[in-house]
Amino acid sequence: MHWMVYAIVAIVLWGVNGLFMKLGTNRVSARSMVIWVTVGFVVLLPWMWKLTTLTGLSRNVMIVGLIAGAVNGLGNWAVFACLEKGAKASVAIPLTALYPLCTVALATIFLKERPTALQWLGIALAVAAGAMLSYEPAPAQSTEEQLPCAQ
Amino acid sequence: MPTDRWHFPIWLWYALLGVFFWGLWGFLSKIGSDTASPMQMQILFTLGMLPVALGMFIQMRGKLDRDRIGITYGLLCGIATGVGTLGYFAALHGQNASVVTPLTGVFPVLTVILAFVILRERLNKVQMGGMLLALASIVILSI
Repeated sequence: MHWMVYAIVAIVLWGVNGLFMKLGTNRVSARSMVIWVTVGFVVLLPWMWKLTTLTGLSRNVMIVGLIAGAVNGLGNWAVFACLEKGAKASVAIPLTALYPLCTVALATIFLKERPTALQWLGIALAVAAGAMLSYEPAPAQSTEEQLPCAQ
Repeated sequence: MPTDRWHFPIWLWYALLGVFFWGLWGFLSKIGSDTASPMQMQILFTLGMLPVALGMFIQMRGKLDRDRIGITYGLLCGIATGVGTLGYFAALHGQNASVVTPLTGVFPVLTVILAFVILRERLNKVQMGGMLLALASIVILSI
């Protein structure tokens, strides 16, 4: 099959997933969602294990991979909690999709990688996007709050 | 009617925490993927998520929410993310990461469209501009 078909499958499923995340947290807690999402991942394990094995991997790589999985689980919890606390899916999903910004920052600090000029542009856009996406004007005070002595 | 006064909502703290954890996940994946294949990493990620889920289960004292529809959405989240990731890996077999990763990075557009149609969510003009900048940034950072 053409690679574009697989890419579209990824876009559709990840995009729909953002909606499922919001619909799920409307009904169950963020912690419950983490548990059921993990079950959803585990369901796919036998299939993945048919396609590959972990033999040949060094102990260090396995440890890094397992820690990455745990951190991913915590990231899922934070995003579910964000949606649970009232964030719109249309704000939370594009906002948290900016996580490569943090990856680039960590790679710069710990791996001494130097961002390219294009990456610097991406970083600047991400910071501006984050600030703009999180802009929600506070609700206006009621007339009574504005004029406490009105009565 | 909204005012122009900006406030820092509680959900934003969690969103930033999510960006940090996922960013750290991306960083660790970068280190691990030097020698492990994407599929091997995906297996390790799944196994690594188990202690977190177990920790949440213990924290809840085993009292999971029983809303069937909520549970279904949770399971669908896991399966959709997992199968989507496998689709991404399959696309990488036929094309370079510098093409596939920025392309698949536009997935939030679909979420925004679905949230507009199904959840009737509306973005203000500033947020709409932010979403466009976010898309540009996601594409650039994933090249």
